[in-house]
Amino acid sequence: MKRWIAILAVIAIAAVLPLLLSPTGYWIRVLTFTLLFAAMAQVWNIIGGLANQTSLGHAAFFGIGAYTSTILVLKFGISPWIGMFAGGFLGGIAALIIAVPTMRLQGHYFALATLAFGEVMRVIANVWTSLTGGPVGLSVPFVPPSIAAYSFKQLLPHAYIALIALIIVTVIFEAIRRSAMGYRLRAIKENPAAAEVIGIDTTKVKLQTAVISGVLMAMLGTLYAQVAVFFDPDTVFSAASISIRVALIAILGGVGTAIGPILGALFIIPVEELMNDLFSSGAAGLSQLIFGVILIAVILWRPRGFITVFDSLMARFSNKARS
Amino acid sequence: MNASQPLLEIKGLNAGYGEIEVLHGIDLQMFEGEFVCIIGANTAGKSTILRAISRLVPHVTGTLRFAGNDLSNRASHDIPTLGIAHVPEGRHVFSDMMVEENLMLGAFTARHAKDLSSRMEGIFELFPRLRERRGQLAGTLSGGEQQMVAVGRALMLQPKLLLLDEPSHGLAPKVVEEMHDAFTKIHSRGTSILLVEQNVGLALDVATRGYVLESGRIALQGTSAELNENPAVRAAYLGI
Repeated sequence: MKRWIAILAVIAIAAVLPLLLSPTGYWIRVLTFTLLFAAMAQVWNIIGGLANQTSLGHAAFFGIGAYTSTILVLKFGISPWIGMFAGGFLGGIAALIIAVPTMRLQGHYFALATLAFGEVMRVIANVWTSLTGGPVGLSVPFVPPSIAAYSFKQLLPHAYIALIALIIVTVIFEAIRRSAMGYRLRAIKENPAAAEVIGIDTTKVKLQTAVISGVLMAMLGTLYAQVAVFFDPDTVFSAASISIRVALIAILGGVGTAIGPILGALFIIPVEELMNDLFSSGAAGLSQLIFGVILIAVILWRPRGFITVFDSLMARFSNKARS
Repeated sequence: MNASQPLLEIKGLNAGYGEIEVLHGIDLQMFEGEFVCIIGANTAGKSTILRAISRLVPHVTGTLRFAGNDLSNRASHDIPTLGIAHVPEGRHVFSDMMVEENLMLGAFTARHAKDLSSRMEGIFELFPRLRERRGQLAGTLSGGEQQMVAVGRALMLQPKLLLLDEPSHGLAPKVVEEMHDAFTKIHSRGTSILLVEQNVGLALDVATRGYVLESGRIALQGTSAELNENPAVRAAYLGI
């Protein structure tokens, strides 16, 4: 009961926050991307946290989603809302194709195989000029603003869509974690050999999580395309700014927990923006250097993620409430 | 299945990992209600026989039949559904889960059965210490208790055949005795048991029949009494 009140309170604050920011300004943009990256990290968390398979190739699905919906608008005038599901479908197929040969790999080997897959997708998007426009990238065409056409004059609706997306993927994550499938995944994570002898089809369960994660990641790619309006292969299929960043957000926040990716995104995205803002006028690359130093410090301070800070704060709070 | 048909039938079994073949032409038969042990030195391939039955070995040729089913085209996660429960070597409990959760997961392939709580009750009767520790994380238990969890987890399936891989390995002598008493009880309740054991004296004590494995081949077989009397067994394994 108390838990639900706390969750509703957080959602209420999150729902009011965008209204306090200037609807055309810089900070609403930061907020929108923070929510979007939180959702992406949560989707990564399904495979990275629950199945314990560290994917470094999630940009592949993200890019597929962004390209699918945008190409459908450009060539056929199909609403991005429908394109989002088409992208999700293709993202799921891509996840299946990459997961079948790689799911037996563990740890570093799985990470490297998925990293390579993301890079392959980037190269394909760069050379398949007739479909993707190649290195020049694609612009989402301007259509008269309407909800049906997923087109808005301001960023405010995008912030709300990102918030809703974050809530939906968090509910999906938590539902999986608590389901029979979540139990199976926990068993596999703790002891793959024992899981197999009690009759868990470990390959099948891991494939299921890979496909769910791939579908959702691709759908978020559409959200990104609609906010960014312009993108090229090197942005949406980027290993550093998509694949590794979403993994980093989840790991830094607290991998395998529902709150972790949200805490991670709330920290990483604004701090990164702030560093760019403060230092980019000085020397090129200085902001990235400082950002890197901050990340190292945070990992040394809290190796198991921000979730541990959050947990101890909650413990202190409930102790105070009791006394 | 008629009464004269063996519960488990292994013929000409070759098995190995990659290039290395561990088992060369194993023939082994077990009838319903039997308690059979496989003894032999380390690296003789004892565990590989159990792992081949559970389809955990990549390269297997030969005949493997259980209760009329051909096992050779089954996946490892299918094996428990046929009524074979495997207690792997080295305990393998789910450390971050409670004892109760570990036990429930053992009935994973039978999760729609209505009698799961009475099955668990039966395991608590067998291992009263698990009842006391039912809410504790399995990783915090002693070695002997973890082995009880691993055996209990296998029994949750109410298997026709229980495969036990080195269950006394690394346990205190008193716990080993307790464990072997439990096996006798499980057997008397009607479960067939195939036990792999390095401790030859104890194995021949509880099992009714045994196979002696040497470098991947069956060197000897017979009733426990016969093997106990055999000069070669006495010299090689019992140190008499």
